[in-house]
Amino acid sequence: MLVSILRQGDFLIASIHTALDDTEMERFRQDVVTRIGQFRSRGVIIDVAALDVIDSFGSRCLADLAHMARFRGAQTVIVGIQPDVAFAIVQLGMDLDVHTTLDLEEGLALLERLTAGSRTGHSAIGVLGDDR
Amino acid sequence: MSVHAAGHSSGIAELDPLIRRVVGGRLRDQSALDDVVQETLARTMAARIRLDDGALAPYAIVTARNLVSGLWRREERSQRHLHRLVDRWEPPGPDDDVVLREQAEAVAVALAELPPRERLGLVAHELEGRETASLAEEWGSTPGAVAAQLKRARAKLRVEYLLALGRIDPPTPLCRPVLMALSGGERRRQRELEAGQHLLECDFCSDMGPTLLQSREKGAEDDVQVPVECDADVVAARQRAREVAAEVGFSGTDLTLISTAVSEIARNIVQFARRGEVVLTRVEDDGRSGVRVVARDAGPGIADLDRAEQDGFSTYGGMGLGLPGCRRLMDEFEVTSKVDKGTTVVMTKWRQQPN
Ligand SMILES: [Zn+2]
Repeated sequence: MLVSILRQGDFLIASIHTALDDTEMERFRQDVVTRIGQFRSRGVIIDVAALDVIDSFGSRCLADLAHMARFRGAQTVIVGIQPDVAFAIVQLGMDLDVHTTLDLEEGLALLERLTAGSRTGHSAIGVLGDDR
Repeated sequence: MSVHAAGHSSGIAELDPLIRRVVGGRLRDQSALDDVVQETLARTMAARIRLDDGALAPYAIVTARNLVSGLWRREERSQRHLHRLVDRWEPPGPDDDVVLREQAEAVAVALAELPPRERLGLVAHELEGRETASLAEEWGSTPGAVAAQLKRARAKLRVEYLLALGRIDPPTPLCRPVLMALSGGERRRQRELEAGQHLLECDFCSDMGPTLLQSREKGAEDDVQVPVECDADVVAARQRAREVAAEVGFSGTDLTLISTAVSEIARNIVQFARRGEVVLTRVEDDGRSGVRVVARDAGPGIADLDRAEQDGFSTYGGMGLGLPGCRRLMDEFEVTSKVDKGTTVVMTKWRQQPN
């Protein structure tokens, strides 16, 4: 299982579990965006703690994901970027213009704040994206 | 072709007018002149990691002279021998018996020139596959020290082999030590011996020096080669880079910076050229160690390197940032590119503290 996309109430928790190549990364982005539409999610957590490299393509993909989510009415928070990885992104000159937090808990708290007032309220938890 | 240099490795691009003058005095034909200049720059860049800065310009000059006088033909011939018998220890191919016998004799002569321990060490390591760790135990040494010793022995062997093969005695007492320092890429030693000056003054060494250095480039013993032609290869290349860098002794942030740079450069190959390779090498200089990454392709080349190296210039499909970004991640960074011939990126990261 390279990635998983879990539904938690109004939120999606999408995790990358291993290094992805560009094609896999793009498919992941597309899957998350599709799920957002499908479940009318208000917020998305992208957990990248397992990635030891986020290069220009990876950064761009994550930023695009956040923008596409926005068009679909969802806020995105990237969680778990390793400090070394963050440093490399900055050195590379990428401007990762998205919300980030250190871990999942903080990420969820931030999402709550970002989406306050626009929640629909149900909180079923389901596993959606384990098809790989 | 254009050549760009950055970081500590500036100097190659500035050689262009110098080489042009040297070659211009000997060649009238403009396109032949361009070819020689380009080839000289490419060769000098390939060899620069093993050259002291003071030897860089002399190396370029003698390389250009050799190219002009057609000496390269001889050089290439001896390189083929050298590569087969010394760098890789491959069994000789089905060549003509006389050549084979001469090569075997040359190897025997060259081996006999080595001190006994280096000779035994090389044979044990290269032919019998003994690990440096096990040799270190036997010699009461460390694997790092044994590796360095074997490296010096190989450098020496290359010199002795070439000398034996050509049945030539070097004309001056300085020749052997200079050739040894060039072959082993010992920059400090090159400085001490004023190797650059000797290259310019000694016909013998101006022929042999480049031969030794170019052959080093082709088959260094600890290179890790990663073919790159699809997305998955990009991931493989950066993972291998992390492994090699960890073996060299890099840690934490540097490992991430190196593998990120390799990821960028490998993706460039897939996007631009479709196929190429990334070669990872451990390098040593004055007690520092580092990792060198050479990314080569035979793709369309980059017509405008100046633009490609500007931040924000989109080198492909809107991704941009590739070359300038990599430059910031590494300590040394050079690109050469020739339209329709391909692109080579050489980048190096040095460990901060000596081992
Ligand atoms: Zn000499």
